[in-house]
Amino acid sequence: MSNHADIWAAPLLAAGILAVGAYTVAVIHLAVGGWLAQARPGVGLLLQPARSAAVLMAQPATATERPDRAMAALSPALYAALAAVAVTVVPWSRSFSIADVETGIVLWGTAEALVIVAMFLHGWSSNSHQPLLAAYRFVAAGVSYLLLSMFVLIAAAIPAESLQLSRIVESQAGLWNVVRQPLGLPLFVVVALGSATWGPLDLADGSDVSGGTAAEASGIPGLVWMWARAAMLAAFAAMSAAVFLGGWHGPVLPGPAWMAVKTVAMITVLSAAGHLLARVPAERFVTWAWVVLLPLGFADLAIAGLGSLR
Amino acid sequence: MTVDLAFWVFGLGAVTTGWRVFRTASMVRATFLLLASFLNVGAIILLLGGAYLGVALLFMMTVEMAVMAIFMVAFMMNPAGLNPMTMVHQPRLAAAAGWVAFVAGAVMAGRGNFPERPLPGGRPVIADLGAELMGRSMLIFETAGVALVATMIGAVVLSSRRSRFGDEAGDEGSLPPALDPDTGSYPPGVIPEGVGSGHDHHGGHG
Repeated sequence: MSNHADIWAAPLLAAGILAVGAYTVAVIHLAVGGWLAQARPGVGLLLQPARSAAVLMAQPATATERPDRAMAALSPALYAALAAVAVTVVPWSRSFSIADVETGIVLWGTAEALVIVAMFLHGWSSNSHQPLLAAYRFVAAGVSYLLLSMFVLIAAAIPAESLQLSRIVESQAGLWNVVRQPLGLPLFVVVALGSATWGPLDLADGSDVSGGTAAEASGIPGLVWMWARAAMLAAFAAMSAAVFLGGWHGPVLPGPAWMAVKTVAMITVLSAAGHLLARVPAERFVTWAWVVLLPLGFADLAIAGLGSLR
Repeated sequence: MTVDLAFWVFGLGAVTTGWRVFRTASMVRATFLLLASFLNVGAIILLLGGAYLGVALLFMMTVEMAVMAIFMVAFMMNPAGLNPMTMVHQPRLAAAAGWVAFVAGAVMAGRGNFPERPLPGGRPVIADLGAELMGRSMLIFETAGVALVATMIGAVVLSSRRSRFGDEAGDEGSLPPALDPDTGSYPPGVIPEGVGSGHDHHGGHG
């Protein structure tokens, strides 16, 4: 079982999925925020992200003093491209992924690792104080949570006996990984919030560093960066649905519909986490990541290994 | 055809970015240009059919270079890597050695007599690699892996301010340098014994 889209169609498909995904993230984020504030959001919400984007496009882009122009322009594009690479390996049904490569979870892990580089360069390239500070602390946090992702994804690969995403979804036909490996999804959510620098783990673009790596990003570059962050969150939601929530498995509805439902559910959870949880202090997060979360990652791997011995 | 084109794109990419490493004056740029060169090589390994090894090279080099950028900048006393500095040592010797290695490699690649034993299609190369790593070669890889982890933990423990002597005594015996050693001024923030908060101390805050 190996499904690949045509090499020329693949980038368009990935861009399309991310465009829909990022817009969905923006709408759900507004809706969850409104609902939590009991504001009864109306249908006008559906157009709100497009309106905000239009306002940003009318804004001029900030020019800082002696930036690294190439990197300032390319780092948002690199970040968006990584979300696209990530989403190519996600299987949407038994017979459709953009690229169902044999090394799916390793390729996903590579995209996650490069997110650290893209985020760092975004902060570094503007040659400005707060973005640089945020870029450095993000690398420290990123290196701390990256191992978690490796462990929980390898744990998911153990029952499937494959690194391929479609095989990992197939292995959940009887029992979803969220039940079989209960530590996996919560730890993966930590990685998702970190990689999209979202809510409690908004360490790269947090308000405590005046917007962090995005402090100097306005106008269209700022819009691209915000869009790429939302796209990254959408890609993580889809990946969580595939690896931990059984992917296309489910009664009555067809496979892609189940993937869509589960992805939207994950986006809602991530968005609620963003609204309800305060940002963690960066230094304390690094300590927690190594002292608490990493051993939990080991435990997840051990549970998966023992489970496969039966 | 597409594969040939991709090979040339990645090959030229690897060589160009590798060359640019030594032409930039910034450690951060040098680090990430080197990463770009490695990523191009990883892509070529993928083209050669090394499904796992190619992707593994990509992510290992990525994390390595991210950590390296941080550590180099942290230990080089070069704030944020922003001060220009040259990226080459002994440039003549290095250039000569580089050309010799390049020509030798190119001659071997072009004139070498390589065996032609294509793997039968559909062979599970990733599972084979896993069996090799976890079978015959397990002792070697596990020994190297554990040694590396022990080294990393040791380095972190030794370099962390509070790990050797605990929270309380972490700074014991260590003093920041004086602002101006010639006049015997005190290190910033240090008020020597016997000196009140009054008028006759130099340099520091009140």
